[in-house]
Amino acid sequence: MDPIRTYLGRLLLEEITPVVMVITTPLAEEACQKNGFSFVDMLLPFSLFPRIDVPVRTASDQPYRLQMFKLRLFHASNIRKQNYEAAEEHLKRVISDLNEKNPPDLLSEPPQLDTALTKSESDLCPGWIKTFNKELIRTVSFSEHESFDHPVACILVASSKDEEPINKFTDLFNMDQTPPLLNEGVMDPKMLKHYVLLHDNQDGSTENAASIFAEMRGTFGQYDCKMLCINSLREGDENNNEVMWLPYRNYGILDHGKTCCLNTDDLNQIREFMQDLTCNHIIPYMEQKIRILNQQVSTTRKGFRNQIKNLWWRKGKDDMPEAPDGPMYTFSSVESQIRLLGDYAFMLRDYELALSNYRLLSTDYKLDKAWKRYAGVQEMCALSYFMLDQSRKEAEYCMENAFATYLKVGSLAQRNATRCGLWWAEMLKARGQYKEASSVYTRVSNEEPTLHAAIMLEQASCCYLLSRPPMLRKYGFHLILAGNRYYMSDQKQHAIRAYRNALFVYRDNSWSYINDHVHFNIGRWYGSLGSLDVAIKHVLEILACGHQSQPTQNLFLNEFFHFVQSAGKRFDVHKLRLPTINMSSFKVIHEDHRTYASAADFDMQESVWRDLEEEMTPTASAPRANWLDTHPKSSLKTYDHCVCVAGEVVRVEIELKNPLQIPIPISGISLMCELSGNSDASTLDNGAASFAVDESTGHTESPVNRLMDGDDSSFNLSKHDLVLGGGETKRVKLKVTPKVEGILKIVGVRWTLSESVVGYRYFEVNTKKKTKAKKGARISSGKNLTLIVIKGISKLEGRIDGLPAKAFMGDLQLLNLKLRNTSESAVKNIKMKINHPRYLIPGNSRETDLSIPQCLGEKNAHEEERYNLTDNKDTYKNLLFSFSESNVVQGGETFSWPIWFHCGTPGKVSLLISIYYEMENSTSGMTYRTLRMHHILEVLPSLDASFVISPCPSKLKEYLVRMDIVNRASSESFSLHQLSCVGDKWAISTLPSCTDITSVQTVLAGQALSCFFKIQDLNGVTEGECTGHRSNMLMGTEGSREQLFDISKSPLIDFHYQERHHQDKLAKVSESLLDFILISKAIGSNFESEAGSSHQLLSHHMCHCSVTRKSLISWRMSVPYTIYHDFSSSICEVELHVDVLNCSPNQVNVQVSTFDYTPDTTENPSSDWSGASSLSTKQSGWSDISLENDIRVMSSPKKVQKYHKSTSESAPPFVWCGSSAIQLSLEPACAARVPLKVCVFAPGTYNLSNYELRWKDVEGLSGSSAGQGHPFYLTVLEGPHGKVTPV
Amino acid sequence: MASTACFVIVSKNDIPIYEAEVGTAPRKEEVAYQHQFILHAALDIVQDLAWTTSAMFLKSVDRFNDLVVSVYVTADVHTRFMLLHDSRTEDGIKSFFQEVHELYIKILMNPLYMPGSRVTSSHFDTKVRALARKYL
Repeated sequence: MDPIRTYLGRLLLEEITPVVMVITTPLAEEACQKNGFSFVDMLLPFSLFPRIDVPVRTASDQPYRLQMFKLRLFHASNIRKQNYEAAEEHLKRVISDLNEKNPPDLLSEPPQLDTALTKSESDLCPGWIKTFNKELIRTVSFSEHESFDHPVACILVASSKDEEPINKFTDLFNMDQTPPLLNEGVMDPKMLKHYVLLHDNQDGSTENAASIFAEMRGTFGQYDCKMLCINSLREGDENNNEVMWLPYRNYGILDHGKTCCLNTDDLNQIREFMQDLTCNHIIPYMEQKIRILNQQVSTTRKGFRNQIKNLWWRKGKDDMPEAPDGPMYTFSSVESQIRLLGDYAFMLRDYELALSNYRLLSTDYKLDKAWKRYAGVQEMCALSYFMLDQSRKEAEYCMENAFATYLKVGSLAQRNATRCGLWWAEMLKARGQYKEASSVYTRVSNEEPTLHAAIMLEQASCCYLLSRPPMLRKYGFHLILAGNRYYMSDQKQHAIRAYRNALFVYRDNSWSYINDHVHFNIGRWYGSLGSLDVAIKHVLEILACGHQSQPTQNLFLNEFFHFVQSAGKRFDVHKLRLPTINMSSFKVIHEDHRTYASAADFDMQESVWRDLEEEMTPTASAPRANWLDTHPKSSLKTYDHCVCVAGEVVRVEIELKNPLQIPIPISGISLMCELSGNSDASTLDNGAASFAVDESTGHTESPVNRLMDGDDSSFNLSKHDLVLGGGETKRVKLKVTPKVEGILKIVGVRWTLSESVVGYRYFEVNTKKKTKAKKGARISSGKNLTLIVIKGISKLEGRIDGLPAKAFMGDLQLLNLKLRNTSESAVKNIKMKINHPRYLIPGNSRETDLSIPQCLGEKNAHEEERYNLTDNKDTYKNLLFSFSESNVVQGGETFSWPIWFHCGTPGKVSLLISIYYEMENSTSGMTYRTLRMHHILEVLPSLDASFVISPCPSKLKEYLVRMDIVNRASSESFSLHQLSCVGDKWAISTLPSCTDITSVQTVLAGQALSCFFKIQDLNGVTEGECTGHRSNMLMGTEGSREQLFDISKSPLIDFHYQERHHQDKLAKVSESLLDFILISKAIGSNFESEAGSSHQLLSHHMCHCSVTRKSLISWRMSVPYTIYHDFSSSICEVELHVDVLNCSPNQVNVQVSTFDYTPDTTENPSSDWSGASSLSTKQSGWSDISLENDIRVMSSPKKVQKYHKSTSESAPPFVWCGSSAIQLSLEPACAARVPLKVCVFAPGTYNLSNYELRWKDVEGLSGSSAGQGHPFYLTVLEGPHGKVTPV
Repeated sequence: MASTACFVIVSKNDIPIYEAEVGTAPRKEEVAYQHQFILHAALDIVQDLAWTTSAMFLKSVDRFNDLVVSVYVTADVHTRFMLLHDSRTEDGIKSFFQEVHELYIKILMNPLYMPGSRVTSSHFDTKVRALARKYL
């Protein structure tokens, strides 16, 4: 690229040009001021020559032509180095001026990514930044180490009114008006001088002036003098010459309201003067100067000898102290002259010559450690390289060197470093190295005060965007940095501009802190500038800042509310982020033919209910055999969609979460709904679709106004207020009640945050998904937003009074089911079904007015029909209870029905009750409805009773019972009331010896106790014998007036069968003997509030209690214990018999055998019974024993041996008579009597235990086994025959 | 000496999936966003650099004032581990990245973890912090 065409090229051509110093007399200045500007200003438009075309010949012999040239004119007083503060002041003024002229556009839309990428550099960086850059560079003009700002020529101006103008001219140059640098000897005072005589035509004719001019020519030379006539415009003449100065407005020209008095002749005169000055004086003068200087430099410095000399000479200066600026160089020093030569060559665009001189000079300065000068020369080297478009690397190296060196010099050269950086960046930009340029800008920004740094950073960010590929994130970051600095230097508008430009980089990103920072600051700054709408828009973005600390959250929220309040109007915000709405929790609860007692009941799975209601509800449509069957047209078409009933509440549940740590008040949460009167189902989908389109296009009109408020009489909305604590999640139940038929659409939800901002949100439902799920609509996904409202029909509301949430196991209560018909018309044909009849049993209408425990009393027993065992066999199934036909609930009536409640096993139980009813007169498609009630019951453990029944050793039909009671409740005490055996076959009585045990009344918490009872099997006992035996036993103190409860009566026996059914599943006992019911009362007061009365009854059902037995059969020898016999007459024959009872459920073959020797019990006391004892311990699993039995069988020959051995030692004093082995077969639960006979030879006491029973299970389940006879002592006394003492 | 170290795992589309301040300097609100800005901006450099080398550890890619950004790119290039730190030894940072990479792979192996979603495992967090104490 041609360097001249680049921005930097043009900048250099404009900025590094010969300086012309202007010195005027006050009178001359005064003449100019009539036009509103100074003399310098007057010449300004004519100092630029776009097409000058002058031939130039510098050191080389090749002439070339300059196309464009410019002079920089300065009044002598301005040719001085600005001090830092003044420069700052100047730059600040420049920025504020620029701001006034080009205020940043803050209200338009911030740029988007695609538009930003297509913008060119000039669009990205505001134009005023360029101007500022120029001004910034100008602040370092007229420094002592650079000579391109040193005046080449001097124009001395005197007015024709001045007295003795000739003397004035000489005085002018010698006065202290001249710049300080000139006086210090840095600048060469021998410059080109030009003398101008200014004549104001308003002061009279030019005659006097002409004479002075002639005198001047005589004194200063023919060609160096000029006379200018100005202000020759007469009144009435047309005047449009001000246009010439318009481009220079920035310099404060023409702002004084004075009119221009220059006519065209004047202007032409000035133009000619400037042209002449440039072409004929300045350029030739510079050419000549270059040639002279070049000559000097060549002779002193060029050539091998000069270089050696120079080096040697420089070395000698090494030990001189290092001044901060390096050594002082006057204009006449060789170094200054080389520099001047270089600069002149640069200005005349002989860059080759300039470069060679700069390079020569740089080594000198480096050796002299004159760093500032060195840096300046390096800078010029780089620019020369650039203008020559050679060796980019070299140019960059020089620039970097210069920049670093300036920085090294310190604060004195800081601004120079900035200038150097700006040139450097421009150079890189000209070559397309934007990335490098931006890093240069960033480096520059570190050296400048905040405001300048901001501008530098903004330029850096532009470069990042322009680099290929664009570095967006760097762009954003640097804009933010710039914005931050703008804000720090009180330039809020620019700060906002910078942040806004960065917005698109950070849009939709998940770097939370970045988002918060950007939006909060933009919002805050807009707020302080008064654009509250925009401020609120931005602050809204960051409201849900859960990741921030609490003070920050507070800050954000306060700022937001502050803006909202100062805005003073209502805001409707779509998708307000506070609180967060959990859409996955969203649920629509509506009641079609299924109604619910409470909203919580909706949570149960539909399938559970359907299983429960299976038999109860009529099948809506016959199930299709295959997919070819068309759905019957007659089936309720309304069921294809979700249906709700007019006048009934539709609930929407939704979860609101506060993401912040500070509580937020939310008020007026309500639904937004639409109800259209058209109930035609076909329009439904169209309506939904059109609504979806509506939503996608974005609502122009705020829908809050359109959809809110129940003034529209077609439906009612509920409103909720709540405060969400920090991090809290709350479930809100919103209600809408449609009043007329039609189609109800639930559109969204709206709420008011802190009573100032209204937020709303649409429920987004994927329409595709909805149509897909339409067939399954009856199974209600709970997310359907469009409901068909049908005409109001009757509805029952139901509840069970007094149903406790917690109860003790065994708790028995009479509750009241209340059904209320809320509508006008009656309902009939009520049915009820309960999933756990073990817990709830509907009572009898007669029981409504009864109360516990009287209704359970025994005296009523005869009034009730007794339940038959067989009738109730099936009641453990799900209970379908139909109320009688006469039970029609009229509109507005309440219907109540007793219901028995009993707690089974401890744990949590969910009770489901479904009530079916039909409409008396149904006009809509619905003929029936169901009311579903759900209750969760927690059953606490209470008394735990277990029974051990063992056969009575003395009587076969009697059993001893040990009842172990443990109170497992945590604190409650119970008093025992009654123990009953179920059924007529058993009688229960206390043991005669321990009657006092029954008087133990109270079982404290955690207490365990045991009681002993006797039960008697009444099977086969005649009616007469069983009088006095009762199946119930009162456990209270003797003589108390406690009432016995009849366990064979309605609720108790019903629950008993349920319990029995349940325990059936648990019990593995194959043989069950009897069931017990233990009735107790709670006496503690812990559950007083819930239980209601101190008469709280608990009934515990222990079913399938079985006898603990050691073997399959039991036997007992029955006796006379003592007999008298006259041994003198004969030996004594005693008739004995053994009663054998089969206790197993199977048929058993039994063999009773006797043998006439004493068993060796002392030697082997337990081996015989080891099998039997193990049997008793494992009675529950008889089948397992078989292995052990086999072992026993194997070992039996050994045992027999033992017996034989003992026979030889002693013979028994008695002998068994009759058959030694009797076999019999016993049916289950049968008893038999085996007759035996024994002969005794002498009086004495005999142990008749040497007989054995062997038995075998016919079905082979428990194999065969054997048992030794129980010890039985027979005492035979000498005495009269026949006297027998029975037991 | 209090040191700054901010570790971030950035997944596809520049979404940070794990962030941890692992330095010893007390955590301050105002630096939290600054760290994010620096790391976010450094992604531009990483984007260029990642394709020029086959090494996973890119060493320090960017700096802002005295804060340096070191980057480790996993095999799929989209997941980048970025550490913002003040001057520290490269070896320690490299070992840190390698061990964190192993941890991250374990996270990826979890069938319940959806790649590109936020890493919420507290075990991972404690492990990373322990590694930071060990190496940084």
